[in-house]
Amino acid sequence: MAAISLRGLTKVFATGVRAVDGLDLEVDDGEFVVLVGPSGCGKTTVLRMVAGLELITSGTVSFAGRVVNDVSPRQRDVAMVFQNYALYPHLSVYENIGFALSNQKVPRVELDRRVRDAASVLGLSELLGRKPRQLSGGQRQRVAMGRAIVRSPAVFLMDEPLSNLDAKLRVQMRSEVLRVQRAMGAATLYVTHDQTEAMTMGDRVAVLRGGVLQQYDAPRALYDHPANVFVATFIGSPAMNLYEAGLEAGGPAGTPAVVLGSQRVALPASGGQVAAGLAAYQGRKIIVGIRPEDLSLPESSASFASAASAASAGSPALSASFAPAGSPAVARLVADARVVEVLGSEQHVYFSVDATPVGGEGESAQDGLLAASAPNGVARLDPRVAVRAGTPSAERCGARVRPRGALMCRAGRKYHGPFGINVGRGHLPPVRCLRPATGR
Amino acid sequence: MTATLVPPDAADVHLAESRKERRKRERLEERDGVIPVQLYGLKRGTVSVMTSCCVLFAIFTLVPIAWIIVNSTKTQANIFGTFGFWFARPFEFFHNFRMLFEDVDDDGTYINWFGNTALYAVLGGVGATALAAFAGYGFARFQFRGSKVFFYIIIGALLVPIGAITLPLYLVYAKAHLINSIWGMILPSLVSPVGVYLMRTYIGLSVPRELIDAARIDGAGETRIFFKIALPLMVPGLMTVLLLSVVGVWNNYFLPLIIFSNNNLFPLTVGMGLWSQHATTSGDQNLYPLIVMGGLVTIAPLIILFLILQRYWRGGMLLGSIAN
Repeated sequence: MAAISLRGLTKVFATGVRAVDGLDLEVDDGEFVVLVGPSGCGKTTVLRMVAGLELITSGTVSFAGRVVNDVSPRQRDVAMVFQNYALYPHLSVYENIGFALSNQKVPRVELDRRVRDAASVLGLSELLGRKPRQLSGGQRQRVAMGRAIVRSPAVFLMDEPLSNLDAKLRVQMRSEVLRVQRAMGAATLYVTHDQTEAMTMGDRVAVLRGGVLQQYDAPRALYDHPANVFVATFIGSPAMNLYEAGLEAGGPAGTPAVVLGSQRVALPASGGQVAAGLAAYQGRKIIVGIRPEDLSLPESSASFASAASAASAGSPALSASFAPAGSPAVARLVADARVVEVLGSEQHVYFSVDATPVGGEGESAQDGLLAASAPNGVARLDPRVAVRAGTPSAERCGARVRPRGALMCRAGRKYHGPFGINVGRGHLPPVRCLRPATGR
Repeated sequence: MTATLVPPDAADVHLAESRKERRKRERLEERDGVIPVQLYGLKRGTVSVMTSCCVLFAIFTLVPIAWIIVNSTKTQANIFGTFGFWFARPFEFFHNFRMLFEDVDDDGTYINWFGNTALYAVLGGVGATALAAFAGYGFARFQFRGSKVFFYIIIGALLVPIGAITLPLYLVYAKAHLINSIWGMILPSLVSPVGVYLMRTYIGLSVPRELIDAARIDGAGETRIFFKIALPLMVPGLMTVLLLSVVGVWNNYFLPLIIFSNNNLFPLTVGMGLWSQHATTSGDQNLYPLIVMGGLVTIAPLIILFLILQRYWRGGMLLGSIAN
């Protein structure tokens, strides 16, 4: 039986805002589940409903099979870490951590032992006499954690607990939060807007958008099999490149080819099942997704010169091959490198290719002069290869595309734009994804 | 235990300093905070004019107090016969002070009235503060049916002058047997619309909802949340309300005037008024020094109270509680 079970959970505020819409979610014992989504997607509202701080419009919240909709927060036995910590400023660290226990009338000796245990787990033993104002940000965060773990709760809720820390501390605290959660073994719901946190921490990740659950799966599966365009762009950094495209017959071995703007990218020959699946999309408009790390410079070219020579002069194009990993490129995308960001361990090359990009969330169409030269794709490349950015038709970046990252989506029946991406009510229509299964 | 995973904390110089060090640092920081007026874009001439206006107003306000201090040392003849803003022989300060304890003209003693005023002020002021704390917390942190309407009614009560309700008040008191009863003085003093309004605003700013949520999650009942979490954070606001309501009761003249006919129940305001009346009508030669000295002794406790409460008006109550 799931430790936390949400059934059709819905929240409509008095203003008419539908913050959470029919959410179904199960969290198993000891499982670390991350709720992730852009700001305003209702994830904190979900958490507050689970905690009992927010009235539930419809649906149920149950803990270990018991519906707790009408149970007050103090009787739900949940522990929660708040985004801004919400420490009691006039109480010492010791009193902050022990407050919940003293509310339960735990005997003094046991209270003392448990507070000191929790403090030592979090490295707060030396600070028990301090007031919150005498602590640094990281210490305050740990006091907030201590206040939650001291109760050994069955349900552990965390609302963006790391968002107020600086970048370095956040990375350190990630592993610490995980360690503490593993030690406690409590079912945990963790809210964040940071997909990196979601991917690195969650046993399972629930992606929310506009109050609607988009996908609920293990991080790896979210990355490899995104259920729709939103998940595809939201998970992964830099985000996946998505373009409107067509699928035509006419690859070398009778396999289909992707038409991206003015370019044709032939797909490799693959297993019969995939080919059959792809065949169904021939002649229709599709969305092609390419992960930035699946783009690479063609092995044949040490520099861009050769890639540039492969392209027809003057037309910005990128050649890509959908070949199994390790096999030679059979097709290329040719594109113009516009901006290069060297990060040390990798470099991001923002390029433009003459295909229509498909925006993920909140991407506004640029117009006028900007649109002509704005990059519409990004590749993650080996930092040792020199790439120079330039104006259109200066240098071109040739890239090889490995099939794992290639994603094809088709819009469902209800759509407004050519691909049904733009939908006013805040969620995507069902979008089916196809993924060439070869070459994992 | 993986102690290595615990991140080293940024060296924070403010963490472990003593109270004395903190005072010193705050004083220096205050000095750093002073910005020369030129940087505000004000002309020197403008600043001089504004400063002069402030000085004039300060003199206007402080002159009566200076007068009362100077004249509390004089005999009746000197009060009328010498320059009002300078001392004159003989120095009668202590004699005048002693006279306060004597029954003058069978009207009652100053010390008795002082006790009455203190009683009314303490009971009324503390009670009003407590009620304002409860009501303000309720209005600030709970939504209930009619909460807005009730609050507006309370705000509306601020606008009604006491003079307008004297007659109905007197009639109600007569029916309720509150004439010549100390409760007639205390009960109305317990109600402080200003206090409720101030506390609601103050709580809205200084007791974050997150703290209340956190306490609820921590399993605290509402009463415990109020006393253990909210109340300590409300202290500066409470002190403001306490001062305002104590001063209000202390200086209240009209209400005791209509409800008390027994001299022994008079507060200072009414008692002094009685003396003043006698001084002008009966021409008693020794009442004026008493009235002046009585006035001085009357304002002294309020000034002392202000100085005591002042230490509670400090910021930073929430420091470290809520990030950003």
